[in-house]
Amino acid sequence: MSLTLNYIQNCNCFRYKAIAILCVLYFQFGYSQKDENEIRFNQVLIKKTKQAKDQVYFKKATQFYINKNHDSTLVYAMKCISINKKNSDVLDFCHYYRAYTFFVKKMYPSSKKELDLISKKFPFYTNVTIILGNIAFDESKFNDALNYYTQVKKAGNNLYYSNTNLNKNLGSCYMFLKDFKQAEKYLLDAEQTAIQSKDSLIIPNIYNDIANLYYEQYKDKQAIFYFKKAYLLSKTSTDFKLKKLTAGNMAVVEENRNNYKQAIVYRKEYDQWKDSLNDQNKIWTVANAEKKFAVTQKQKEIKLLEAENKVKKTQRNGLLIVAFLLLSILGFGVFIYRQKIKSNKIILAQKNDLDELNATKDKLFSIVSHDLRSSVNALKTSNSKLLSNLETKNYNELDVLLHKNASIANSSYNLLDNLLNWSLQQTNQQYFYQESINLNAIVNQVVYNYKPLFFDKNISFESKIDKQQLIFADAEAFKIVLRNVLDNAIKFSVQNGTISIYNTKTNNYFCQLIIEDTGVGMSKTILDELLKESPLLFKKENNEIIGTGLGMQLCKSMMAKNGGKLDIESKQGNGTKIILYVPVAGN
Amino acid sequence: MQKLNILIIEDTKNESDSLIAVLTENNYTIVGVATTFSNALQLFYEHEIDLVIIDIFLNGQPDGITFAETISITPNSAKPFVFLTSSKDRQIFERAKLTKPYSFLMKPFNELEILYAIEFAIEKFYNQTNVFLSEEENTVISKEYLFIKKKNILKKVMLNDIIFIEVDERYCNIVTETQKYLINISLTKLIKLIDQKKFIRTHRSFIVNSEKIEEIILNDNLLILKGNHKVNLSDNYKSFINQFQLLK
Repeated sequence: MSLTLNYIQNCNCFRYKAIAILCVLYFQFGYSQKDENEIRFNQVLIKKTKQAKDQVYFKKATQFYINKNHDSTLVYAMKCISINKKNSDVLDFCHYYRAYTFFVKKMYPSSKKELDLISKKFPFYTNVTIILGNIAFDESKFNDALNYYTQVKKAGNNLYYSNTNLNKNLGSCYMFLKDFKQAEKYLLDAEQTAIQSKDSLIIPNIYNDIANLYYEQYKDKQAIFYFKKAYLLSKTSTDFKLKKLTAGNMAVVEENRNNYKQAIVYRKEYDQWKDSLNDQNKIWTVANAEKKFAVTQKQKEIKLLEAENKVKKTQRNGLLIVAFLLLSILGFGVFIYRQKIKSNKIILAQKNDLDELNATKDKLFSIVSHDLRSSVNALKTSNSKLLSNLETKNYNELDVLLHKNASIANSSYNLLDNLLNWSLQQTNQQYFYQESINLNAIVNQVVYNYKPLFFDKNISFESKIDKQQLIFADAEAFKIVLRNVLDNAIKFSVQNGTISIYNTKTNNYFCQLIIEDTGVGMSKTILDELLKESPLLFKKENNEIIGTGLGMQLCKSMMAKNGGKLDIESKQGNGTKIILYVPVAGN
Repeated sequence: MQKLNILIIEDTKNESDSLIAVLTENNYTIVGVATTFSNALQLFYEHEIDLVIIDIFLNGQPDGITFAETISITPNSAKPFVFLTSSKDRQIFERAKLTKPYSFLMKPFNELEILYAIEFAIEKFYNQTNVFLSEEENTVISKEYLFIKKKNILKKVMLNDIIFIEVDERYCNIVTETQKYLINISLTKLIKLIDQKKFIRTHRSFIVNSEKIEEIILNDNLLILKGNHKVNLSDNYKSFINQFQLLK
């Protein structure tokens, strides 16, 4: 609100201005003052809060309202409204608080909105009307204000608002509406009641109003009387604004009366109050500035802290990410390292295996070539003998030599056959197809080739195989096994020995084919050596007989491939029993 | 009873000669020896052949397999065959295996092995395994022939020659115009495999070749067949007469 007065303006205009300022000032006074009515009203409010015990926000809002802590009032009233959507009783109070506060803060539209929200049941609805009137007054809608005030007036006396104020306001309205008679009536009423209630604060204001009223009507004498009264009363008051205004009014009045001397005295007084008011204002603005400064400082600090926080956050995140990355790199490294160790182990094992296999192969080659060489050599010498005997026509010897040759060729062939099968098997080139075969038929087919050999060594051979027994095997692989087993049986049989071959059914899955001879047998060490689960070959003990042990090795792997097993039972000098476990067909 | 006709496809004379010797000795007829693929096809279609013995490699080429493939995919010309090979090459076997059903024989082989392989090939081809080596049965039935193994000799009887079959427990008495044979086969299997339009059951223990029926005497429940064979007709099996258009 501007407090500057422009004295150079013409009289009417000036007078008007003085009045307007006074009126506006009055409202501030009227409401900042704790008159009896207000105290009464506050007491009612306190009672109300005591009734609504659990309404913490309402209690607080009421307290702040009574203490005129406007901002807090607004906040808590709002909170109270937000949690009390249905309790219209409390709601009305809260809206009233807000409306009042907005009015004091001169936010008239908001205030009006809040007032609209108050229900008609509100016990202090006259107060609402008063505020509406005051708003209209402040907005210079004097007719509206007058309407509201007369409504209040019609409603009759009320304990919770000041009758004096009402009369005064009515008077002011009429004054602005130039209805001086009515104005005078109400203002004088107000004067009377004010004097009765000894309200020292409002009286000078009323005098001022009355003075202005007369002044407007150019009843200068009466006006000056009241101005003076107001001025004198204001001297006892502590209110600077009142003092300033009454002094200012006096100065204007004296000036208009051309009593400049007096006018200057008043003017000076006016200036003095104005200065002190300004000082107050200054102090207030300084305080405000300081406050602002402090706030900005705080805000800066907050911003700084926020920035610091941000930096810290990013630093922490960065550290976390780096730590995670390092961990994962470490994990990956460990994984790779372990993998490498693993593969190294495997490679090493494979290398050892390969070395072993290679050594076996080398050994095999040397044995095979040695055997082949000796058998071919034997054939050579036998052939030269044959030739010489042919020359001498010694036919008896021829037959013996030819039989010898045949047996050498036969064993060499077997050796080579085994070698071929072994190499095929090693390179996994062997064709393998298991099917249902008649065991007796296949044994007979293999035995057929050995009949002359049995005859040669005078071996009695007997076969007792169930003619219906079907096995599930690859015929060629099984034949290789049978050939080798029979070969060995004949090889290690003595003259006039016996070889028998028979089967027993173990269970639904396997049948045993047993090839038994009465030959030289073998020692436990050789037996173990032969049955060992290793690809290694074994030393050759019996130098007289061609053999590498390759055959037995082949037999074991062929049986394994067929899903069967080979077992040997033997004692040195007591014959050998080869047991073949063969899968039965139909499973 | 006739001997089985065998075609040999083999380019090595020594081998084919020894084969011919072994097979002739075992009562097989050798209809020819082919040494090339085209030669083989020619002989195959010229003669009535029961089984082919094929050397996989002809002049270094696996033409034997090609031949087997050719006869296998030609409808109605497929016959049982046995592969002979000295190669243990896996790829060749994998290819040969595709010509189903097949059996093979590794060189060198002995007499028993080749005879077994022939029988096995016939069993497999007509999908009647474990016949010739079993004690209960000795006959494989094809669409045209009965292959009968008697005293280790494999022979065939033409189905068209059969007048009727008399069932006697585990045996069947087969009567042709000229001969009688006793074979081992179960009745259920026989009925399943034989052409039931041609061979009609007239009695619990009689199966008759409908083409050989000369007269039906319903009153006496009697059938008179070619060669003046008389066969009983039982009420249970009379319904077959409806198949004929009767003159009344």
